[in-house]
Amino acid sequence: MHLKNKFDVGKFTILAEMQPPKGVNVSAMINSATRVRKAVDAFLVPEMGNAIMRMSALGGAMVLQSRGMETIMQVNCRDRNRIALQADLLAAYGCGIINIMGVSGEDPSLGDHHQTKAVHDIDLMTLFKAISTLQTGKDLAGNELSGAPEFLVGATVNARATGDELEKKLAEMEEKTEAGVDFFIAPPVFDLGTIAPFREKVDLKKTRIIPTVMLLKSVGMARYLTRHLNVTISQDLIKRLMRAPDKATESLSIATEIIAAVKEAGFAGVMISAMGWEDKLQKLLDRV
Amino acid sequence: MIIADRKSLEEILDMIKDFKKILLVGCKGCVTVCNVGGAKEVGVLAATLKIARKKEGNPIEIDEKTLERQCDPEYVEQIRDIFDQYDAILSMACGVGPQFLSEAYPSQKFFPAVDTKFFGGAVQHGIWEERCAGCGTCVIHHYDGLCPIARCSKSLQHGPCGGSADGKCEIAKDVECIWDTIVKKKMEQGRLEDLRIIRAPKDWQTARDGGPRKSIREELVQ
Repeated sequence: MHLKNKFDVGKFTILAEMQPPKGVNVSAMINSATRVRKAVDAFLVPEMGNAIMRMSALGGAMVLQSRGMETIMQVNCRDRNRIALQADLLAAYGCGIINIMGVSGEDPSLGDHHQTKAVHDIDLMTLFKAISTLQTGKDLAGNELSGAPEFLVGATVNARATGDELEKKLAEMEEKTEAGVDFFIAPPVFDLGTIAPFREKVDLKKTRIIPTVMLLKSVGMARYLTRHLNVTISQDLIKRLMRAPDKATESLSIATEIIAAVKEAGFAGVMISAMGWEDKLQKLLDRV
Repeated sequence: MIIADRKSLEEILDMIKDFKKILLVGCKGCVTVCNVGGAKEVGVLAATLKIARKKEGNPIEIDEKTLERQCDPEYVEQIRDIFDQYDAILSMACGVGPQFLSEAYPSQKFFPAVDTKFFGGAVQHGIWEERCAGCGTCVIHHYDGLCPIARCSKSLQHGPCGGSADGKCEIAKDVECIWDTIVKKKMEQGRLEDLRIIRAPKDWQTARDGGPRKSIREELVQ
């Protein structure tokens, strides 16, 4: 059963982020993914997040897809023009990749190739238009295609927004849904209270929202997230991690609890971001 | 200077179709020099628009004014007493002008009558060509005073590409291959060896690619 079918029947889907290597050594990625392939519904392959150059999402997704693991391939607007984006989408489908996630792409100044020229030939909404246009059997220039792809399309949504910002995000989500987006992945959540305002305004039965559950690897990481990335992590949680004799196990316990809470709250699934602890995913998913 | 081309009459008429009274503002800066938005052009456009609207049976009142520069708050102030007397203001300045006006008069609507194109100069009376891309890191001295960033279609630092033929760029017969010119010049001066230096990959952070830019003269800021 593909991811689309799982969404359709209302299964609580488990997605796991599987970052391609910064190099060609794909063994770690393959091993981590293979160990959890039965428990994970699809692997989200990011496209050079934070503008850090690594193996492309198309390559990474193909590595997993060729081994029978379903993937969600990310595409961003920063690195490719409309010709290349459409070309890579066709290539993806031709290689068995049927799930796509569109993102804008962070500025190069955040990554490791500061001097590069960001492309942004088309913006995110136009990218979604390109994805839906290709599915009608035409390209953006109106030319007929020899075979049309069929994609399940994802996007991000900031479920932590409140007040006016929340209204803007809801309008954006509606716009993206009209442009063909089927599911939305929300940023990392540690306390469901932070996404309560969002939860109240969205009909989770109609719109598929998938919050990210990030493995808290250390107290240092928790502090970094709160100070620099605007992520809310309660002091209680930080203390818990600080006091734990075995941080890794405690981190997994915390993640397990959050996943359970996300499921209870009626979300369509969860996206696990292991942040380098992909080898511990199996342990986590055994508990879930 | 900044070169702009006037928008088509159709496009301008469409922009102002709902308005009965507008102010048409020209600029004595770049757009006067490239004969697209100075006092003379303001007069011609105002007359043309009035005639077109009269023909439609939907007359329009157009007042005319030409500022010294629309990119200067001092001159932008000069319409403080009159800006709100109009349904909208149509600016013939480059893209900078209507934005400065818009910031100074947030309650008014501003429309651009020209499409701003490039930094360039007159090669002949009536013909202006692009010379500078504003890349923020000028290296024309590497190319004997010629800029491949602005004048090569691919902005090659090591050209020409395979598309260069008879001194022309592959994109169009009337586009000079600047690399052909650079190579010829180096050959004439016996310095072809200069072009064998492999330059570091271009740092686009100083160009518009690095985000909107600012220039600050510390010694002048109060």
